[in-house]
Amino acid sequence: MRALRWLIVPAVVLPLAWLLFTGFGRDPSEIASPLIGQPAPVWNLEALDGEGLSADDLAGEPYVVNFWASWCLPCIDEHPVLADAYEATGVMVVGIVYQDDPTNARAFLLEHGDAGYPHVVDMNGRVGVDFGVTGPPETFFVDAEGIIRAKQFGPLTTQTMAEHLAAIDVEQP
Amino acid sequence: MSRWASIVGTGLLAALVTVILLQPAAPATNADRADALAGGLRCPDCAGLSVADSHTASAVAIREQIAELIDGGATDAEIREHFTDRYGDWVLLAPTSPLTWILPFAVLALATAALARWLTRRRERAVVEPVDERERTRLREELEALDG
Repeated sequence: MRALRWLIVPAVVLPLAWLLFTGFGRDPSEIASPLIGQPAPVWNLEALDGEGLSADDLAGEPYVVNFWASWCLPCIDEHPVLADAYEATGVMVVGIVYQDDPTNARAFLLEHGDAGYPHVVDMNGRVGVDFGVTGPPETFFVDAEGIIRAKQFGPLTTQTMAEHLAAIDVEQP
Repeated sequence: MSRWASIVGTGLLAALVTVILLQPAAPATNADRADALAGGLRCPDCAGLSVADSHTASAVAIREQIAELIDGGATDAEIREHFTDRYGDWVLLAPTSPLTWILPFAVLALATAALARWLTRRRERAVVEPVDERERTRLREELEALDG
């Protein structure tokens, strides 16, 4: 009994240390999306060029939904990754301008390059809520059946882009 | 042993009563319901605020959706599920499992019982043993030797 008493200290301290270490060692806002494996939310928004675009227009082919904003600094870093993937694989990409003014979004594209894929504006933040977006950049990868297969939280890199495109069966050179 | 069982039992009962008393009363109007629901949801694009306390586009959009869902006849549980389906349990500010509320009180009750038990045991162990005649003689002799 007396010998067991010494076990109390490690038995209490070790799990507590583990809990604190794992709890504080990760970003609490970086959460696995419950939408993975679920049908992509539907939306119908106005594009920056004034045309209407809806999720139905993209159905039947895999596509990438990228939430971004001109005020979002990591979006600048990932912008060329999206442009390169769009040009190299021909996958459909849609930019959803999140909590931003269309004028600022157009200025961002002028400054950082416009690969030619459409950008729609989520004026009231509703589509962002449907996708469970907490802050741009966030990118969703939807397969040909309309199911979300992957989500990138934070900026895409060439490597994560390739992994996520593979998850929606997009052929890559 | 039954004494410890009753202490633990009383503690658990007290915990249960506290949990029941802490349950907020059901809000009366739809607006009250919407406020209560928004107060229980985490604002997705701000730090440490509920949807009710925030003015970001997401918080406003969520409040609008809550109002629409209430008008559509959804229950509180269905409305919460609508948002956990999109954001995960992360969006709920309060944990849903009753265990979370009961566990601290249960641990407190167990710790109190353990402490009380330890204290009484220590007292029992400290009971003075009667000194027999042989020891009395030895003590007397040693005291006399010291005095001498």
